[in-house]
Amino acid sequence: MAATGEAPSESRHYIVQRVREALAHDGRTNELDLTVSVNGDKVFITGTVPTTERRDAIGVVAREVLPDHEVHNHVTLYETAEPTDGEDLS
Amino acid sequence: MIRLAAVADIHFGADSSGMLRAQFEDLTHHADMLLVAGDLTKCGHAHLEDAGVTVLEGETTTVDVDGARVGVAGTKGFGGGFAGASGTDFGEPEMKAFVRHTMALAEGLEHGLRSLEGCDVRVALLHYSPVRDTLAGERAEIFPFLGSYLLAEAIDHAGADLALHGHAHAGVEKGVTPGGVLVRNVAQPVIKHAYNVYTFEPSRSLAADAHA
Repeated sequence: MAATGEAPSESRHYIVQRVREALAHDGRTNELDLTVSVNGDKVFITGTVPTTERRDAIGVVAREVLPDHEVHNHVTLYETAEPTDGEDLS
Repeated sequence: MIRLAAVADIHFGADSSGMLRAQFEDLTHHADMLLVAGDLTKCGHAHLEDAGVTVLEGETTTVDVDGARVGVAGTKGFGGGFAGASGTDFGEPEMKAFVRHTMALAEGLEHGLRSLEGCDVRVALLHYSPVRDTLAGERAEIFPFLGSYLLAEAIDHAGADLALHGHAHAGVEKGVTPGGVLVRNVAQPVIKHAYNVYTFEPSRSLAADAHA
């Protein structure tokens, strides 16, 4: 499909699922807990992952699945600081 | 004081090597043991037992902490949903298999927790959630894939001081079973730390025993 700026004809419901399936199954990502939304020819991906490599791979995989869409990779990284204090459950 | 460190859903891959080394090297300053509630790796199997990790899939273990006995019963658990909106062991064989898998694991969990009676602290270590409370933030449509009330029922019947789980990355940390057992969702995206620490103060009689 030519990038005309018009909304692609495939229903966005199926586009969302195609991207989610690819992100789950592709060995570069294997991420099941990402939120994918489609608005016209723009795709937005949100969620958190452990590494910058995996975050960047998410954009790569999504662009491979949807070369005619504009992919916005808004995935952020896990925060992994040491805890400051414990919770007393006594 | 008994200090339990807990985390889930680290989802480590080959790209994660060394990322949490500094935080975990310091672990013994913060906690007496580390409980991992599943999804340590992205996919595949880590050589856990070779590395000195006790794997609890339907099993229990006890750990002595300064004379206090901490009992941990572990199972990954499974889905099915929560009271009023759950799958039923009825109808098509695939649906029965789904629900029966959860029932079997819940039964094993109850048995495991009962076998730990007499421990000073008893912990149910799960991957799937026993309650809806800690799923707040997740889409309600996927609750049946995130946990089952059968796990809470098992915990409430057998008794426990704490239930830990993960799996619900978009959920919240704190909940409680219908029977009043504290639940903590320690999925790393939820707790936003390398791990959380939960502490228990041994009872006075226990402390006296320990020093007798």
